[in-house]
Amino acid sequence: MTSHARLAAAFLKQEERAHWHDQALWYVREKRDRMASSVPDWEALRETAQAIKRHALANMPRYLEEFERNAAARGAIVHYALDAAEHNRIVLDILKRRNARLVAKSKSMLSEECGLNEFLAQNGIEVVETDLAERIIQLAGERPSHIVLPSIHIRKEEVGDIFHEHLGTEKGESDPTRLTRAARTHLREKFLAAEVGISGVNFAVAETGAVVICTNEGNADLGNSLPDLYIAVMGVEKVIPKTKDLSVFLRLLSRSATGQPISAYTSHLLGPRPGQEMHIVIVDNGRSEILRRERFYKAAFCIRCGACLNTCPVYRRSGGHSYNYVIPGPIGTILAMHRDLKKFKDMAYASTLCGSCTAVCPVKIDIHRQIVLWRNEVVKAGYLGKAKSAALKTVTLGMKSTRLFRTGGWAMRKLLRILPPFVFNNRLTIWGKSRDLPRMPARSFRAEFRAYSRSKTNLSESGMNREGRS
Amino acid sequence: MKDSRRLVLERLKEHAITGNTSYPIYSHPNSGIIDPRRSFQSVIESVGGECRFVADLETARKLVASSEVFVSAKQLCSYVKEIVEGNFDAEAKATAHECRDVDLTIVRGELGVAENGAVWVNADPLRHRALLFLSGNLILVIESRDIVPDMESAYARLDFTRLRSGYLISGPSKTADIEQCLVIGAHGAKSLLVLVVG
Repeated sequence: MTSHARLAAAFLKQEERAHWHDQALWYVREKRDRMASSVPDWEALRETAQAIKRHALANMPRYLEEFERNAAARGAIVHYALDAAEHNRIVLDILKRRNARLVAKSKSMLSEECGLNEFLAQNGIEVVETDLAERIIQLAGERPSHIVLPSIHIRKEEVGDIFHEHLGTEKGESDPTRLTRAARTHLREKFLAAEVGISGVNFAVAETGAVVICTNEGNADLGNSLPDLYIAVMGVEKVIPKTKDLSVFLRLLSRSATGQPISAYTSHLLGPRPGQEMHIVIVDNGRSEILRRERFYKAAFCIRCGACLNTCPVYRRSGGHSYNYVIPGPIGTILAMHRDLKKFKDMAYASTLCGSCTAVCPVKIDIHRQIVLWRNEVVKAGYLGKAKSAALKTVTLGMKSTRLFRTGGWAMRKLLRILPPFVFNNRLTIWGKSRDLPRMPARSFRAEFRAYSRSKTNLSESGMNREGRS
Repeated sequence: MKDSRRLVLERLKEHAITGNTSYPIYSHPNSGIIDPRRSFQSVIESVGGECRFVADLETARKLVASSEVFVSAKQLCSYVKEIVEGNFDAEAKATAHECRDVDLTIVRGELGVAENGAVWVNADPLRHRALLFLSGNLILVIESRDIVPDMESAYARLDFTRLRSGYLISGPSKTADIEQCLVIGAHGAKSLLVLVVG
């Protein structure tokens, strides 16, 4: 598997696109900031959201049973799936029983995780993604590069090409409004023809059995109201205790995700509509394993807003496809590690540990801290690789001994000035790839500080430095 | 399947997180909402919708009658007969699919949320809830006294005991999936007018 660093390098080769990607996401982050600061109780809301999640996850069996009971009482049929394969099989069985051939599907990261579309396609069922971005990448044969903005890596001219090929729009058309209108017309036909709607779930309320889904386009809402068969798929962690809790999560979700006060549509479904058959598939697929790990269970609090992606300096500059796991960015990293430490180990290093992800997370997951802890696990498991291990061991040695550290510093200050740059900036030193090493100071920090302290003492003794300036 | 249910619940029980996991006692009213009517209107306008305050139904009737969405609508479905008569009866249609060409729908909302401009629509009185999303344009009518400051007060007022489906609708449908350019009118309504009566 190609590492994050290599995939990121490929992304960065297209400079203009990479720059646009960075700026576009930063703009979303800024919108998020404006929204967050407009809610006086924002920090308290985050605290409460985390406390509710912690409570809900600690009591999940009870709440899932309550949810199941209430949803069933309203006429929904509830299924449980241990893993992705079972989830896919359950969905296929439902479709087969009803002879459904065309699915109008709304965004679901769970179904991406389970590979549902591929599985259904192999079984002769046509799945049409109805979220505009999801449809774009489906037609392009790609996977989402962002959990909320799946086609953020694709430029409008490329969308024009894709639509020209598949929807018959005019060649060279790149106007977002005209392209969106074309997609609306195309997908409206699919909605009207589909025998079944499938969507993910944002929240499942135990108290009432309600399934809550948020969209801006209205696609999930058409998908859950129009066809006579509707399937909602959800991870076990989506369950929340009370209706009131929606007020906390809905206030945080859209503001954190896209900087909107709330999404355009928030569907609350309590059982099927008259004449409809509604199924809810509740999936574990490794989630119970996340809870088992005491230092890492908070990853399961995630409400999939994508704020940590938008703010991450590495994600913004490397693109979602540079991460090998289905969910990219900081939250993807700490979820991927649970999935397969060896396979996704490089993701733990696709971070500057700046902590911005933790600062914006609406449910206060300590994401950057978990990334550090996962690096420990990578090292402990022996997956670091020989070169990095050796380098780290050498550094550790130097850091542990005051004398070695001082001598090393002295030597570097001298050598860097004498030796030609290629000794430090060559193929082997990654740091020299796009930057020069800083100019070496004449003295060490220690010497500098000693001199400073001495001068300060002298000054205050002579009464010249009452304000503490030096 | 029966087994999977048992296994999933068992695993979750076994792996349950420990420590202080009590349910929080909380209340977070949005103290930033000084004038709920103003906030409600300005948020709706910031998300691409329109919000008008009207003194009574007669004013509402005149306002709608002169609106462009009304004038250009060929199929008009009304659930607020006091404001518009309408010429399309969705209740008489056997399937929602027959409502595919409705240009304008006007329905009542139960409450409006000042902090995010959302209107709660109880879809149970509608034979076809899909109408809310199929309709080319949408007019929602709420009473002035039904504007609440924030989400917490909204949910405190909503009753889910008999509800089958309800939707919070804030602005027209929209997308920014092509290069983050905002386009109003994705799958649902291409315009939204909220009339606040009284």
